[in-house]
Amino acid sequence: MRMSIYVIRRILIAPVVLVGVMTIVFTLTSFLPVTDKISTLASVGPNQKCPAIQPYCACTVFGSSQPGNCANPAYWRDYDKLGLNRPIPVQWAFYTYRAFTFQWGTVSNNSALVTDAEYGNFKDRPVTTMLGVLLPYTLELAMVSLLIILAVAIPLGNLAAVYRNRPVDQASRVMSFSGFALPSYLLGTLIVMGVTLALIGGHTLAVRTPWCPAPHPIITELQGSWPGQQWGCYTGKVLPSLHYPVWISQCGSLHNYPGLATCPTGFPTVDAVINGQYWLAFDSLLRLVLPALVIAFGAIAALLRFVRNSMLEVMNLDYIRTARAKGVPERTVVKRHAGRNSMNVTITVLGLTFAYFIGGFPVIESVFVLNGVGYGLALSIISPMDFGTVFGTTILFTYLVVAANIIVDVLYAYLDPRVRLG
Amino acid sequence: MSATEPLGGAATKSRWRPSPRLAQFKRTWYFFRRNSLAMVGLGIILVIVAGAAYAAAQPYNWTAMTPYCATNFGPKSTMTSSGGYNVSTVSCSPYVCNYQTTLPTNYADFCGGHWYKEPYSGSLSKTYYSGAVPPTISFSTFQSGTMPFGSISASDTSLNDIYNLYTELLRGSDWSLIFSVSIVGSGALIGLLLGAVAGFWGGAIDEALMRIVDVFLSIPQILFIIVMVSVLLALAKTSQALEGPTTELSFLVLGFVLIWWPFYARLVRGQVLVVREQKYVEAARASGAGKGRILLKHIIPNSLYPVFIQFSLDVGTIPIIIGGLVYLHFPIFPNESPYFPEWGALSSLGVTGVGDYLRGCQLGSGCFIPWWQIIIPGVALFLYAISVNLLADGLRDALDPRLRR
Repeated sequence: MRMSIYVIRRILIAPVVLVGVMTIVFTLTSFLPVTDKISTLASVGPNQKCPAIQPYCACTVFGSSQPGNCANPAYWRDYDKLGLNRPIPVQWAFYTYRAFTFQWGTVSNNSALVTDAEYGNFKDRPVTTMLGVLLPYTLELAMVSLLIILAVAIPLGNLAAVYRNRPVDQASRVMSFSGFALPSYLLGTLIVMGVTLALIGGHTLAVRTPWCPAPHPIITELQGSWPGQQWGCYTGKVLPSLHYPVWISQCGSLHNYPGLATCPTGFPTVDAVINGQYWLAFDSLLRLVLPALVIAFGAIAALLRFVRNSMLEVMNLDYIRTARAKGVPERTVVKRHAGRNSMNVTITVLGLTFAYFIGGFPVIESVFVLNGVGYGLALSIISPMDFGTVFGTTILFTYLVVAANIIVDVLYAYLDPRVRLG
Repeated sequence: MSATEPLGGAATKSRWRPSPRLAQFKRTWYFFRRNSLAMVGLGIILVIVAGAAYAAAQPYNWTAMTPYCATNFGPKSTMTSSGGYNVSTVSCSPYVCNYQTTLPTNYADFCGGHWYKEPYSGSLSKTYYSGAVPPTISFSTFQSGTMPFGSISASDTSLNDIYNLYTELLRGSDWSLIFSVSIVGSGALIGLLLGAVAGFWGGAIDEALMRIVDVFLSIPQILFIIVMVSVLLALAKTSQALEGPTTELSFLVLGFVLIWWPFYARLVRGQVLVVREQKYVEAARASGAGKGRILLKHIIPNSLYPVFIQFSLDVGTIPIIIGGLVYLHFPIFPNESPYFPEWGALSSLGVTGVGDYLRGCQLGSGCFIPWWQIIIPGVALFLYAISVNLLADGLRDALDPRLRR
C-alpha cells in the first residue's frame, strides 16, 4: 500500500518541525531571568512553604524566634534539575526532552490566572493539567467552527464560480473582503451587544428556561452565545458557580459543584449526552454557535476566494467539457466532476490557514467568556506574565497545527492520487 | 482604438517618443484609471496618507499621552441586597485604573477596564484583575440626548479635550501606517530574498530554508508575537540601555517581522520554481547572463505578483492583530506612555470600554450605548484594509497584461 507508506513518512517528518519549534521556544526562554526560567520550565508540584521560584525564603535560623533567609531547597532542586548550570547544548537537550515528555512547567503564582476564581484552582499545578482540562472546550469550539466554515465556504465558493460576476459572486466578494477587514473582537462584541439588547429590550428582567423554571435576571454578559452567570441553572436550582462549564471543576475534581455525575471524556457536550442530560448537551452546543460563527466569518474570507478560483480553473478543463458533451446534467457536473477536484485546493488552503485560524481563539474565547485554552492564555499574558502557561500553550497549539497539517496532507493524498503515487 | 489610448499610431508619427518606462507607466495608469473600484481605493489611501503625514508632522510627546480613565467618569456599581445594581459616578484616578488588582468584597469597580466577574451573592466574592499597562475608556452615564459622536461625554465638555475619537484617529494614522507598512514590508523583503535564493539554487539551501519556514509556519502568528514580545519586554526591563518607548516599539515590530517573513519565503519560492523554467530565463542564460543577473533582473521581477497581493492583504491585517493584542490586555504599550493611538488599539479600547460601560450600566436606568466608540474605529480599520486591497487588485489588473480587459 503506497498510501500507508505515505502516511508514515508524513508522520515521521512531524517531530522535526516540533523540535524546531521547541528550539525557538528554548532560545526565547534563555533570554528570561533565572526565576522566570525556573517557573517556566520546571514541572514541580505545589510547594507549601515558599514559592519554588525564590532562591531564598524566610525561615527560622538560630532557634525558633529569629527569622532569616535560608536557601530554598525547591529552588535549587529545580535549578539542578533543569540543568541551568550546564552548557547551553545540554540545556537545550534537557528542554527538548521535557517538552516532548509534557513537562511544560507550572502555572505561576503571580499570574492573573490564579486570581480568577475558576482558574485559580490551577495555581501551582502543572501547565499540562490545566491545558488538559481546558483543551476539550477549545476543540469543541474548533470542531463547530470548522463545520460552519466547510458548510459555507465550499458551496458559496462553488456558486460564486458557477455564477461568475453575478450577485452571488459579488456577495461572496463582499463577504470575503469584510472577513479580512473586520477584527473578530469587534464583530464579536457587536454580536454580544446585539443579543444583550435584544434580550433586555423592554427592560423585562426575568426570563424562564425549560431547564430552569424559576425566573432569572439577565446579566449583560454573554458566555458563549448565552447570557451567563445567573443563568447557570442546570439542575433545577441556581448553582453557586458563575461560569459556563460547571463541570470543568467537576472533571478537574477541583470544586464540588453539582454538574454532571461523571465526566469520562472531558468534552462537555459528549459528557452531557453520556449522562443523558440532553438539555445540557443542547445548551453547551448552543453556546458555541455565536463564537463559532465569528471565527468562521474570518476564516471563510481566506477560503472563499481560493475555492472560487480553483473551481473556475477546474470548470475550464477538458474533462468538464467532455462530461457536458456526454449530456451529464449541469448539477452533476458541478457537484461530482468539478467539485471533487476543487476540493484539493480547499483542503490545502485550510491546512495553510489553520495556524491563523487557531491563533484567533484567545480573542474569541475572551469575547464570549468561554473557558478554553485561549481564555487561559488571555489571562496568563496580563502582566505579570505567566511564562509557563504562555510557552505551554504555544507548544500545545503547535502540536495542534502539526496534527492538522498531517491530516490535511493525508486527505490531500487521498483526494489526489498524483501526490501519493508521484 | 480610442483617442485616449496611449499606444496609438500618433506617437509613432511624431518625432518625440516618451521613454519606454514612461510609456509603460502611462499605459498602466490608463488601465488603472478605468477601474473605478481601484480609484476609490487609491482615493481612500491618499486621504489616509495625508492624515498620517499631518500627524507625523506634529510634535510627539510621550509623556503627554493621557490615559482615558482620568477623572470623574468611571461608573461604579454597587450590588444591592436584592441582586440589582446601583450605578453612580465616582472619581477614579489613573493610578487606580491601572494598578488596582483586588476588589472590596461586595462591590465591583468599573474603572479597571478589564472584564471581570462580579460578586454573586456577597459571600462568593471574586477578585478581578486589571491589566497593568493598558488604559481604559470609561464612560459617564450617558443621557440619550444630543451626542457629539466621538466625544466621551456630552455634558462635560472638558472631557472632550482628554479623549476625542477623531483627534485620536488622526493622531494614530501615522502609527498604523508605519507599523503595518514597516512590518509587512520588511517581512516581504526578507521572504522575497530568501525564497528567491531557495527556489533558484535549490538543493541543500532550499531544503534547510524550507524546513525553517515549516517550523515558523506551524506556530500561530499571534502566539508567536505574544511569546516573542513578552520575552523581549522582559529583556528590556533588565537593562537600562534597552528601556524606552523606541526600543519597546522596535521589539514589537521585530516580533511581528520574525513571524511574517516565512509565509512570503514559501510563496516566492513556489513562484520562482515556476518562473525559472520559463523560456526567457533560458534565453537569458543562453546569452551568457550570470546567475545574479538572472535572479535580480528576470526571476524576482516576474515572481512579484503574488507577493504584491499578499502584501495588500497583510497590510490591513496588522492593525487588527495589534487590536487583538490590546484586547487581550497584552502589554504592548511602552512603559513611559500608557497608550499610543494606533487604530487597532483604538478600536479595541473602544470595544473594551463599551463592554465595561454596558456592564456597569444599570438596566432600565436610561443609559445610552456609546456605539460610535466601536463603530468609528472599526470603519476606519475597514476602510484602510479594503482600500489597500482594492488598490492592489487594480494594480495587479493593470500591470498584468493577461488580466487587462
